Amino acid sequence: MSEGLNYTFLIDTFFIALSGVPITLLVTVVALLIALPLGFLLALTRINQVPVLNWFSRIYVSFVRGTPIIIQIFIVYASVPLILSLFFERYNININVYDINPIWYAFIVFSFSTTAILIEVFRSALSTVNKGQLEAAQSVGLSNLQAYLRIVIPQALVVALPNICTATVNLIKATSLGYAMSLQEITLKAKVAANVGYNYVEAYIDIFLVYIILCSLVEYGFKLYEKRLRRYKYVSA
Amino acid sequence: MLKINEIHKSFGKNEILKGVDLTIDKGDVVVILGPSGSGKTTLLRCINFLEKADSGMATFGELQVNLHDASKKDIHTIRQKTAFVFQNYNLFNNKNALENVTEGLVIGRKIHKTKATDIGKKALDKVGLSDKYNSYPSQLSGGQQQRVGIARAVALNPDIILFDEPTSALDPELVGEVLTVMKNIANEGTTMLVVTHEMSFAKDVANRVIFMDGGVVVEEGTPHDIFISPKEERTKKFLKRVLPEDYTFYI
Ligand SMILES: Nc1ncnc2c1ncn2[C@@H]1O[C@H](COP(=O)(O)OP(=O)(O)OP(=O)(O)O)[C@@H](O)[C@H]1O
Ligand SMILES: [Mg+2]
Repeated sequence: MSEGLNYTFLIDTFFIALSGVPITLLVTVVALLIALPLGFLLALTRINQVPVLNWFSRIYVSFVRGTPIIIQIFIVYASVPLILSLFFERYNININVYDINPIWYAFIVFSFSTTAILIEVFRSALSTVNKGQLEAAQSVGLSNLQAYLRIVIPQALVVALPNICTATVNLIKATSLGYAMSLQEITLKAKVAANVGYNYVEAYIDIFLVYIILCSLVEYGFKLYEKRLRRYKYVSA
Repeated sequence: MLKINEIHKSFGKNEILKGVDLTIDKGDVVVILGPSGSGKTTLLRCINFLEKADSGMATFGELQVNLHDASKKDIHTIRQKTAFVFQNYNLFNNKNALENVTEGLVIGRKIHKTKATDIGKKALDKVGLSDKYNSYPSQLSGGQQQRVGIARAVALNPDIILFDEPTSALDPELVGEVLTVMKNIANEGTTMLVVTHEMSFAKDVANRVIFMDGGVVVEEGTPHDIFISPKEERTKKFLKRVLPEDYTFYI
């Protein structure tokens, strides 16, 4: 132990950690694909004060904000199999709930928490777009949907993008908690490798590096996209 | 051409429009005057369904529409026949001047893009912005933005253009350029319903002036009728307040 870092292990494990990236990214992308449209629609129900749904979104947001993700993971990981097995028994479906790949639970948990965050992101972004924009679009004959797609959302997106970026990076980091349900992502893979020879420090360094590379790339991508989107703003003024 | 009957509109307990009637013929330039809060903006917004009236009818040529529960299709038809120029311009911030003008043509009216671009450029030329096709609203002065707003309305070739105080958000030195543009399109025979505090525009360009107060039309007539020989006490009081002491009209 006192010989310092085991460099061979450090390098080997780096690639093991790297092999967890696809799962991390898959969970991130699926969670975003669900949370972006859903968060947007629920944000609309908040802004337009749609009865019931508006209240639902509010309670949902404060619930997710008020609980640590790890607790949400425990709740889903413990309760969904129970519900499913009851359901399977009842309808005589021959599936063992414990054979279900934990990635499905990860999809549920992370979509759930990201949706709540994006509701707030979209709500504040949409409220920065003056109501006159929608009215002007309607007055020239655009339908509500067209007005949102062509005028309101592009403007709201520019405002929302930095926050969506933060949410995405936070999501990537949060997927590391997936190890609690044996999700084969970056953290778990590196930790398992470390278990053999107790090379935890090396493994943590690798995990650290992989996340920092991954998150930096994602941030860079968002920056580029944001630059393209906001070309209409303050061009010279 | 456009006839409005008995519009009523309340916000909460406040009745803002208390049964307004309005008739506009083709080629009319009608100016609505009235103190702040008298319901002028609300009236225009109800005509264009930006606000839903509590009751009232609009007759648009052959088409008769209930302003309270018009179908989506009727609303769409009426919006095709009207255009709106907003006090705060409300240009699409994410579109350049030309795109602002063509948006309603291409998307709202399904006109082919090449043709729409053609129409759009002509409309911008007409308001003196030939060199600003590609400028975004953030790069334009208030006067220029409002001229784009007018071009956007003109390009749609509507039966009537509704103007809600088109110059009152502008610095005084920019008012002139916008009024000139409005005067030009009025001279081309465009039917216009204009809410404004610019008395010179009402005097020089309008063929009819309506004075509104407290949610009703108090008096209407030619500019001469209203400015030189108003009948109603409320009209006289209002004019006395808005016209300079030594203001005299020669019509
Ligand atoms: N969305 C709304 N909700 C509640 N009250 C409103 C709303 N819109 C307008 N009002 C009220 O209706 C009244 C008439 O407003 P409106 O804007 O039509 O007046 P106006 O004649 O255009 O006045 P101004 O000359 O100041 O523009 C005002 O008292 C205003 O506060
Ligand atoms: Mg007004």
